[in-house]
Parts: sequence; C-alpha cells; structure tokens
Amino acid sequence: MLTTLIRRELLDNLMTFRFAAALFIMLLLIVANTAVLIEDYERRLADYNTAVKTHQQKLREKKNYMAGLAEEIKLARPPNPLSIFNVGLDKRLGNSVSAAHDLVPTLWDAFTHGADNPLFNIFTAIDIVFIFEVVLSLMALIFAYDAIAGEHERGTLRLVLTNSIRRGYILLAKYISAMLCLLVPLVMSLLLALILLTTATAVALSTDDFLRIGGIVLASLAYLSVFYLIGMLISAATRRTSTALIVSMFAWGFLVLVYPNVILVATDPPEDPRARRDTAFEQIEQLWTEFDRERLKFLHNDLVPGEEPDLGIHGYGSVGADFNSSRRTLRYYYWISIQYSEVGPRGETLVPHAQNYFRFLVPLMIKTAEQTWHVRDAALKDIYGQQAAVDRMWLNLSPIGMYDAATQAWAGTDWGSIQDFFVAARQWRRALVNYLYDTEVYAAREWFLSDKAEADWSTLPPFSYQRSGIAVNAQRAVPHLFLLVLTNFVLFMAIFLVFVRSEV
Amino acid sequence: MIWHIATREIYENLNSLRFGLTLLLLLALMLTNAVTHLREHPKRMQKYHDAITNTRNALTARADNLYTLAQKGPGNFYKTPSPLHFCAEGGEAFIPDVVRGESHSWRRGALKSFWRLHYPSVRPNLANIRPEVTKVDWGFIVGYVLSLTALLFTFDAIAGERESGTLRLMLANAIPRHAVLLGKFLGALISLLIPFTLATLMNLLVISTSRSVQLTAGEWGRLGIIFIIAILYVCLFLALGLLVSARMQRSAVSLVILLLAWVTFVVFMPSTLATIVRGFSSPMSRAEFQERRGQLDTALKEQYREYIRIRNTKRYAVLQEQGAYVTKDAQQHERLNRERLAQEIQQVKEARAIIRISPVALVQHLMETFAGTGFERHLQFLENVQPYARQFREFIIENDGHDAESLHLIGVPTGMSQRKVEPAAMPRFKDTRSLNRDFNTAAVDLLLLVLLFIALMSGAYLAFVRAEI
Repeated sequence: MLTTLIRRELLDNLMTFRFAAALFIMLLLIVANTAVLIEDYERRLADYNTAVKTHQQKLREKKNYMAGLAEEIKLARPPNPLSIFNVGLDKRLGNSVSAAHDLVPTLWDAFTHGADNPLFNIFTAIDIVFIFEVVLSLMALIFAYDAIAGEHERGTLRLVLTNSIRRGYILLAKYISAMLCLLVPLVMSLLLALILLTTATAVALSTDDFLRIGGIVLASLAYLSVFYLIGMLISAATRRTSTALIVSMFAWGFLVLVYPNVILVATDPPEDPRARRDTAFEQIEQLWTEFDRERLKFLHNDLVPGEEPDLGIHGYGSVGADFNSSRRTLRYYYWISIQYSEVGPRGETLVPHAQNYFRFLVPLMIKTAEQTWHVRDAALKDIYGQQAAVDRMWLNLSPIGMYDAATQAWAGTDWGSIQDFFVAARQWRRALVNYLYDTEVYAAREWFLSDKAEADWSTLPPFSYQRSGIAVNAQRAVPHLFLLVLTNFVLFMAIFLVFVRSEV
Repeated sequence: MIWHIATREIYENLNSLRFGLTLLLLLALMLTNAVTHLREHPKRMQKYHDAITNTRNALTARADNLYTLAQKGPGNFYKTPSPLHFCAEGGEAFIPDVVRGESHSWRRGALKSFWRLHYPSVRPNLANIRPEVTKVDWGFIVGYVLSLTALLFTFDAIAGERESGTLRLMLANAIPRHAVLLGKFLGALISLLIPFTLATLMNLLVISTSRSVQLTAGEWGRLGIIFIIAILYVCLFLALGLLVSARMQRSAVSLVILLLAWVTFVVFMPSTLATIVRGFSSPMSRAEFQERRGQLDTALKEQYREYIRIRNTKRYAVLQEQGAYVTKDAQQHERLNRERLAQEIQQVKEARAIIRISPVALVQHLMETFAGTGFERHLQFLENVQPYARQFREFIIENDGHDAESLHLIGVPTGMSQRKVEPAAMPRFKDTRSLNRDFNTAAVDLLLLVLLFIALMSGAYLAFVRAEI
C-alpha cells in the first residue's frame, strides 16, 4: 500500500514545473559557483606554496641559529580543499604562524600570507553550502506547501481516506516521495560539482575527502528534510494552499534571512572580557619579570664585565634584544637576535662567556615560554572562545545554524579543525625544543656567530601538517547532526498530531 | 477607475495574513537596526574624536620647529563616521578609515626620510572566531526582505484572479486593461508601503530620540532620498511580480519563477559576479610591492651615494643634493603607494560595475552613496586627503620662504627654517561631503534603476494586454 502511495506522489511531483525549475536553477548556481570557488582555491594554494618557499628561503639566508629561530621560522597552513563546500573559518583566520623556542604558537599569533586585494573583502563570498542553505530550503517549502492543503482543497484527501489507509501512511508516503524528488537536484548538482573538482588539477581529493563530502550530503539531506517538514506542518495546519504558501514564505524569510543575522546582534553580550584579560596579562608579566631577574642575576654573578645583549663582543652585524608584548592577545616573549659574521680579537675572548650565558638563557626562555602558554591558553579560550560558543548556541536554535555547523565540521573548517593546525605547530615546536636540548646547539658558537661554522638548517625537524582524520570530523559533526535529526523527529511528530486530529 | 481598483486591492491586502506578517517582520528588523545603531554609533564617534585629538596634539607639538613639521608631516587623516551608518553599512569593516600622513622609514646620519601618504589596508581581525553574519542595515532590509515581500504581494495579483475567474468578470465591465494593471500595481505598492513606512518611522523615532545620535537637516534630506530609492526599488519588484503573474496561468507557478529569479539575481548574482571579475585583473601583491620599493630605494641611493655619506657639511651644493634625495625619496614612495592603491581600487570598481546587473547591488550602492558610507565614500575621503597633502607641503615651503635665515633647502635640517609655526595658521584637514558629488556618483545607478523599472513595467503591460483571459 505504501509503495502505491509513494509511486502516485512521485509521479505527481516529478512532472511538475517547479521540479524542472528547481533542478535548472540548482545546476546553474552550483556549476557557476564551483568553477569560481575552484579558481579561488587555486589562488590560495599558489599563495601557500609561495609562502612556504619564501619562508624556507629566508630561513636559509640566516647564517646562525639564533637569528633564524628568532625571526624566520614561519609555519604555513595549507588551504583546505573542502573549503569549497563550506569556507567556515578557513579563509578568515591567520594562515601562517611564527613558532620557535621562545614562543608557543597559538591561533592568536597567526597572520595571513595571502597576497590579496584587501579592499575586495567588501564583496561577500559564497560557498556551496550557502547555496544549499538558501535554495534547498526554498525548494523544500515550495514542494511542501500544498502537500496536504492542496489535497484538502481538491477533495482528494477525503477520497484517499475513504480507503482504509492509515493517516500516518499518507504522511510517510508524501514525505518519502518528496524527499526522493528533492534528492535529484541535490545529488545531480553535487555530482556536477564533484566532476568539476576532480578535473581541476590543483584540487587533490583523498578517499577521506569523499567520505567527508558524503557527510556533507548527509547533513544537507537532514536540513532539506527539516524544511520539507516545516512546510508540511504549515500545510497541515492551515488547510488552504494560498495561506500555506504565504506562511511558508514568511517562515523561510524569517529562518534563513532574518534570524541568523539578527540574533547575534540582539544578544550581543554586554560583558567586557577586559578584567579577565588584565589578570592573565599581569600573571604573564610576572613570569617574565621573574625570568628577567634570573637572567640579570646570572649576568651579575658572571664575572664578565660585558653588557647586554651581546655581552660586549661587538662583532660585525646586527644585534637586538627586547621584551615584546601585546595585551590584546596576551602575547609576551623575550626576543633576542645576534647576527655576527665577524668578531674582533677582544670580542673573541668573550665568546666562551657568551656561550655560557646562552647555555643558561635558552632553557630558561623555553621554560618561561611554556609557563606563559599555560596561562595564556586558558585565558584566551575564555575571552574569545566562550563568546564564539555562545554565538554558536544561539545560531544552533535555527536549522540553518545547525546545518552550517555540521558541514563546517565535516569540511574541517570549523574552529576545532583550525586549531588542529596550531596543535601541530605546537608539537613541532616541542620537537624543535627536543632537538635543541639534544644537540645543545644553543651553547655552540654558530648559535650567534657565523664566522667559523654556519647554521645547518637541514637538520631541523621537518614540519608537516595533516588534516585531522575523518573520525575526528565525524565526532565534531555528530552533535549538530543529531540536533538536525532531532528537529526532524519533533516536526514529524507535530505534523502527525495535527493531521490525525484534523477533520477532513 | 484605476483608483477604484487600487482601493479594492488595498482593502483586500490590509485584511490579509501577508500584510500582518510583513508588518511584524519589518518592525522587528527596523527595531533591531535602530538599537544596534544606538549602541555602536557613540563608540564609533568616541574612537574618531580620540583619534582626531591625538593627531591634533601631536601636530601642535611638532609645530615648534618647521623642519620637524616638514619631516614628520601632518599626521593621520581620519574619515568622519557617517551618522547614517544604519542605512547602509557598506562593508566598512573592510574599508580603512585612516590614511597615514606621518610615516617615514629611515635615518641616515643627520638626514631623516620625509613623510609620505601611506594607505594602510584593514587587517582582518584574526582574533575573531565568532561566526560572521550580514549586518542588518536598511540596505539589507530593503534589498532582501522588502524585495521578497514585494514578490509575495504581487505573484498572484493577476494569476490569482485568473484562477478564481474574477479577472474575466472584471474585464467584462468596460475597464481598460492598463487600468487594471496600474490599479493592481498601486494597490500592492501602497499596501506594502504602509508597513514599510511604519517600520521606518519607528526606526527613525528610536534613533532621533536618543541624545547620542543627532541628525542635521542635510541628513534628514538624505534619509528622504534613501526612502525614495527604497520605494523605487520596491516598484521594480512589484513590476516584476506583475509581469510574471500576467504571463502565468497559475499563481503557484508564478511564485516559483519569481522566487527562483529572486534567489538568482538578489542572493547569488552579486557575489558570484564579483568573484568572477576578480580574476580579470591582479593588483600589485604585497611581495611585488615590497620588491618595487626596494628597487626604487636602491636606485635612488645609488644616484645620490656620494652626497648621502657626507655629514656635518655646510656646503650649499651638497645640502642641495641631500635635500633633493630626501624629497625625491618621499615622492617616489608616495607615488608607488598611490599606484598600488589605484590598482586595488580599479579592481573593486570593475567588480562593482559588473554586479550592477543585480538590482540589489544597485540599491545598496545608492544607499551607501547617500548614507555616506562604503566604497564611494572612501574614494571621496581619499580625494579630500590628496589635495590637503599638497596644500600642507606648499604651506611648509611658503613658511620656509618667510624665514630669511633659512637656505630654503627642503629636506635637510640645516637647510631649513627652524622657527616655530603658529598651529592656528596651519591648513586644517576637512573631510567634506557634498550632495552634488553624491548625486553625480549615484546618477548611473539611479538611471539604471529607473530604466529597469520602466522596462519591467512595460513588459508587464505588454504581457497583460496580450494575455488571453
């Protein structure tokens, strides 16, 4: 019986004008935008490759370790190919970060290496998920508004119900067949997008990426179904197609256009995180004051009369040392760089003392940097992370917010996935610190001089960043996906109740 | 007769669900807009006034010595925030509000590099991990929400009557078809304008009762213009709705077509076209810019090498060459900065020209222009800064000329007057805006909007006249 109903509904839906129009517009938008997005991705990939090359080249130009580590270690984050689907934070946040023994890298130290026209940002960029957000929801409502009200008006509902069919079956048949119809434009446009993606040489998709895209399709399906059910609920409740249509359209305008844009402004948290920031900054400042005291104590006990920062070696080249800090991002570190290519005979006698000083100083810097990080990480998560989490929560009250969050998680462009890069950067820094401890290169002459021996950058541990595995993506996407599915169930229950209790 | 039909339409609409929902939606949006503006605008003004005061104090401190003034420059220029920011946000988060007029780069012996105009770009706030949303300004409310409701008011205007058979009845009387069409149009327009005007008035009421935002007569005039533009834009969509409604036999089909057209032209067209146009030209990248700057530096240094090294000299010829070096250095840097800026602006201009295909881009450009925000306003600000920079340099030369002890060699400390400059005598930077200029920049957009409206309206007329009932 169910299959008969579904077949009838399917034929009803497939032969309509709205189906053809929806299919056409979907294909048009997806193909045009995917081509543009691929081009954009290629440009970002080229930027990334240039950045990596320049960073390495600049590092190699530095002849001693200290200068190279203090100035030229920059780790670049490759663009995510799935940002074509949902760009999330991939383009917005910093994609290069300095990392060395003196500073533990965090998201807030990142900068951008892109070579773009900054004025061009006034144009909004779109991605495939945005198209789905707008078009799929609209399509679902157009398919749903007359599902029950239409039959009610024509009187066919009464006819169908005179047969001994349970009302739940009718609902289910309508739902399944409409979803099947709506799947066609979704799947076809996605296939076209995939064809474009696989033919583009710059975009290399792995098996995991295809699975992630599968996850995005799953989320899209749940999102589509939410809107279809909203339309059906309206259709069941209003009983007149013209009313149902108007209510559906306003519901769409509210859910897609108004709510996501208004809610964050309306609930802008008035509290100022300044107090939290100030206490953390003071704590960090104290750590570095302690560091400075120990450093000066060492210099004081050391019987060499030379002055900082080069202890009076006065070689040929540049030299500098200073404390750097930023209250906004709670950044604090001691920056010291000496690049001498030659040393005079008087300076030569001081070199062993300097080596002694750095043997003491560098481990102290490493230790203080790590202590700073513990304070900083917790504080920054409170200051910036909490606000973002509250925003997310508000957005998650609408289907569009859940869908966006779920697809971001699948694509790996959400906050968690961006943080993975910085976790990798911190791991690399750990490897670098271990390398420094193992080789004790900071006590060597080529740490700050390049006259007898030069720094060998090839022995440095290599940095590599892999996007987190699909399991992690899935784990991050599941809560949002679950919310979407839950909304589906609630809506279906509501329709069922309304429909069962309604008079025909 | 037209009026008769229009009143009938209005009565019908006033009782309808869509009227109530539109009113509710617009009121909520406009209220949010007003509240946000009242919260943000004082902060913006405070920031601007602080910046201005700092610059003025620094400038007064510099005025003790003409050479210092000439070397350090007039300080930063800040764009005056528009009190009509709530009408059109204009992507101001990505448009810089400052031009630096005090940057200098090097010091060689007694010589210091002179100031040059430097156009900083807005660095995106990389610490911000909050989800990003569209700003709810009038541009958004009119451009997206109101246009959608306009379609919802007209999609069944003719197709609906055709379905119910009343169209045939109506035309059986001796009513000309254009009267029916115009009546429908006016009816829909007025019944849409009622909620929009109410919402707008409430928005303005909230904004103008606050003491922190004060609007002058000129700004009320601009608001009037913006309101008229909004009406024109609404008319455009009403005409589109009538056109499609007249062609289609069924109102549902008409709505599907209208919605798909709306989604394509309003939601997607601007950003897709902008991204496509972006590929056509590539402005100087940061690396390229730095390389060119380095080349220019080396070339000039090479040219004046023998003079730069000399220190503590009083020889006129040497001082003259040193002065020439300093001024040329500043000039070529400024030229390079301007060249890069011009390329960036050109790219944006091209994109903005192309996205005019989308009516929402037209209306947003117009609103930005009259609200004094956004890209065109930025260009105007730059146009204000550049002549002032010239004026400031002329002021220095003129003042130096008044000092008999000076050697009149601009660029070297010993060749210039060291006298105090009266701070009041210095030219003052004024970030002026004129309605005339705004009209000039808006003319094309305005004409396009009117043209599009006429085209759609006559299309609707033709479609309806030739339609079989």
